[in-house]
Amino acid sequence: MTARSPSLRAAVLAALALAASPLAAQEAVQVFQGARLHPVSGPAIDNGVLIVAGGRIVAVGGADLTVPAGAQIIDCSGKVITPGLVDAGTTMGVDARDLNEQGEEVTPAVHILDAIDPASRDFVRARNSGVTCAQINPGNRNVIGGFGAVVKTAGDTLAEMLVMDESGLRLTMGSEPSSGNRAIRGGRPEGIYYRRPTTRMGVVWEARKAFYDAMAYQQQKTDPNADPETMAIDPGMEVLSRALKQEVLVRTTARAEQDIRTALRLAEEFGYKTLVEEATEAWRVIDDLAAAEVPVLFSAPSSMNGGEGTDVRYNTIVALAARGVPFAICSGAGGAPLPLIHEATFAVRYGLSKDVALAAVTLRAAEILGVDDRVGSLRAGRDADLVVWSGDPFDPTSRPLAVYVSGEEVSE
Amino acid sequence: MTPARRSSAASPPHSRTFPMTLSRLLKATGLAALLAVPSAAQDQLVVKAGTLHTFAGDPIQNAVILIENGRITAIGSADEIEAPWNAKVVDATNMVVLPTWVLAHTPGGLSGGNENMANVPFLTVQDAIDPSDTFFDEAIRNGVGTLHVIPGNSTLLGGRGMVVRPYGKTVEDMTVRDAGGLKLSLQADRGNSRMAQIRALRNALKDAQDAKAELERQRTEWQKEKDAGATEKKEFDGEIDELKKPVVDLIDGALTGYLFVPSAAEVPEVARLKEQYPAMKLVLVLGPSCYKAADRLKELGYPIVLEDESIEYVERDPETGDETTVCPPKVFADAGIEFAISLSQSGNSARRYPWWQMATMVRHGVDRGVALRSLTTVPARILGVDAEFGTLEVGKVASLQVLEGDPLAATTWTRWVVLEGEVAYDKTADKRLQVLFGETAPASGEGTTGGSDRQEGSR
Repeated sequence: MTARSPSLRAAVLAALALAASPLAAQEAVQVFQGARLHPVSGPAIDNGVLIVAGGRIVAVGGADLTVPAGAQIIDCSGKVITPGLVDAGTTMGVDARDLNEQGEEVTPAVHILDAIDPASRDFVRARNSGVTCAQINPGNRNVIGGFGAVVKTAGDTLAEMLVMDESGLRLTMGSEPSSGNRAIRGGRPEGIYYRRPTTRMGVVWEARKAFYDAMAYQQQKTDPNADPETMAIDPGMEVLSRALKQEVLVRTTARAEQDIRTALRLAEEFGYKTLVEEATEAWRVIDDLAAAEVPVLFSAPSSMNGGEGTDVRYNTIVALAARGVPFAICSGAGGAPLPLIHEATFAVRYGLSKDVALAAVTLRAAEILGVDDRVGSLRAGRDADLVVWSGDPFDPTSRPLAVYVSGEEVSE
Repeated sequence: MTPARRSSAASPPHSRTFPMTLSRLLKATGLAALLAVPSAAQDQLVVKAGTLHTFAGDPIQNAVILIENGRITAIGSADEIEAPWNAKVVDATNMVVLPTWVLAHTPGGLSGGNENMANVPFLTVQDAIDPSDTFFDEAIRNGVGTLHVIPGNSTLLGGRGMVVRPYGKTVEDMTVRDAGGLKLSLQADRGNSRMAQIRALRNALKDAQDAKAELERQRTEWQKEKDAGATEKKEFDGEIDELKKPVVDLIDGALTGYLFVPSAAEVPEVARLKEQYPAMKLVLVLGPSCYKAADRLKELGYPIVLEDESIEYVERDPETGDETTVCPPKVFADAGIEFAISLSQSGNSARRYPWWQMATMVRHGVDRGVALRSLTTVPARILGVDAEFGTLEVGKVASLQVLEGDPLAATTWTRWVVLEGEVAYDKTADKRLQVLFGETAPASGEGTTGGSDRQEGSR
């Protein structure tokens, strides 16, 4: 599984430089032969053939697929190939001290992209476990914490890794943004720990106030009588205005029942597009989630501690699937999540079908992130991000034998 | 606990005699009558197994196990054995039957397993086991049938363990062997340096040796006096201080020590201890990095139990920052060293599951048989209960589990657990599992973990 072409690196770089241009022709062609293929976008193919060139998937099919002459054949008999896994909610690659900009409670204009360290061991760990693409969020200590980004887990520079910037604005419900804050009882009021909010109510108020301010800002900007010369541009308000116009996805972190309900209520109140992240108590709010057609990024199935005093239920994901709520499985929550495939394995343990579980860590995740035109399935034209497994990926005795990003093996 | 109760009519394979404070209290207050609800005596039980792993021979398809008074009286294929018409039947014809798991070392189920005083070999977990701890529910739900519950790793000489089954309302009900091993730890805690910890252990052992020598001196003196007719005492009545007795027994080899070795750096000290106290019997409980001393550990020859975190862990190179995932069981298996494994007692770790721990090893290339033995025959032998547990054979105690599928598959759940001939766990009667699966609404006030964890999980 170590076969690789040194010239592919150049091909990848070239392909990325050309953005969405069709594959650079003359490059080496790799053929993965004999594996059970899970394209996710279609039914599994036994003894399949997967053709990769120029960092992209060229063709996917059965044993009858014509193999181009001179192609490099990689024998994968007895193995299983899935798309590279997509983790739709993480904080990987960012130093813990850099996750939360605590200058203010509401920091919509900051970008996690500025804090991502491409050399972080998190990425090595992620790609060794089969994760090739991940949404990276700012932390949850701010009410509005800023923009996340979708990146590949391999690449020398951030530019090379980046799939999509501004892929969601983090909004956090519950007690996290107020934890550590204290009301002023004597002491020095300018200290950072005396900042607001100090309660769950305060958190929601900060969010609501931010969006009201953005509405006022928009109104002021569009006021025909206003002098554009005197109108100061406020980057934060610009971002929130874009959210109000549904140009930016608001990712609301909410674990407890009341926080999930608040997340849905706020989105309805201000008309922004949202999804619910973590969603530990989604099982209590399943009707509302289904009615609101709000996607859920559930993390993490193996965890029995959802925080916030929440009650964990094994059947949450099965219930989401049964009600048709769009969802993905993420490793995102606190504690020590397992590698993403094992988190999905726990969902299978709790009754989710393997096909749905695989989709929840590949194509569904990519769709929710809006990057399914690049990743999440084995289809012609998609990036050649794939994992060769020793066996059924949901068998805990299986392991990834080789992981490819844009056709290049990146696992150690 | 599961609703089924131990039958008071069935004769327990192990009897015990020491007085139990709790049971006395219950009897005195009349609570015992309320708790001890006797079920119909189940003298005979038949288990029909689709696949039977006895761990004493090849797997048997379509097998029957005959159980009488808590012991196995016959095992064979369905066409060889005739089941008594009136016996209760566990029909597992589509399932997998194997012995219950044996844990050679766990600090689970204790209320306070780490005494603050460093040198307390005279304590016993008998006074710390909390039968209502959900750890035991979780254990039986995961097919664990025999556990050596012993103090944690934070105390130098932490006290004695006991072997229990995860079933019963009182410690008395749960007891398999009231005399377990003595816990020792080389973990430098409470601000101690490693030097001080090692020194403290040597001192404690030396103390016991001195106490023993002093007793011998007194005996010789008495003998002299007796021979000279200078004493009335016909028998020597000196004895070792009760507080030191367990350590004296330890160095004499009359009591097995379970020594926690946090890292490879402490292994040379184990070698020194062996040299100095050759009669001492030890079981080594190993932290993750101990695999680096595998050769040395093989020479020493002590039985080995791997801590739950020692199955797979990430090692970071302090200079290059490179991370390597290591599977210590693979290293031990390759070196031909036998080992038992542990489960996490944390309710929030995948390591609490036997299937996870075993599958993790197999993922790293350990043989399935080695993985399965690390929770059955090896720990049973370490605990000295292998004549009764760890395999399914005629004459042995009928403690077995019925699994819905392969023991290493994530999708497999425990359907039944039979402990000493009695159905002690039935998945369909596991109320807590039903709540966790959202099949029944939680009772009012049930389930919330309260406010204490509100701050956890922040990023």
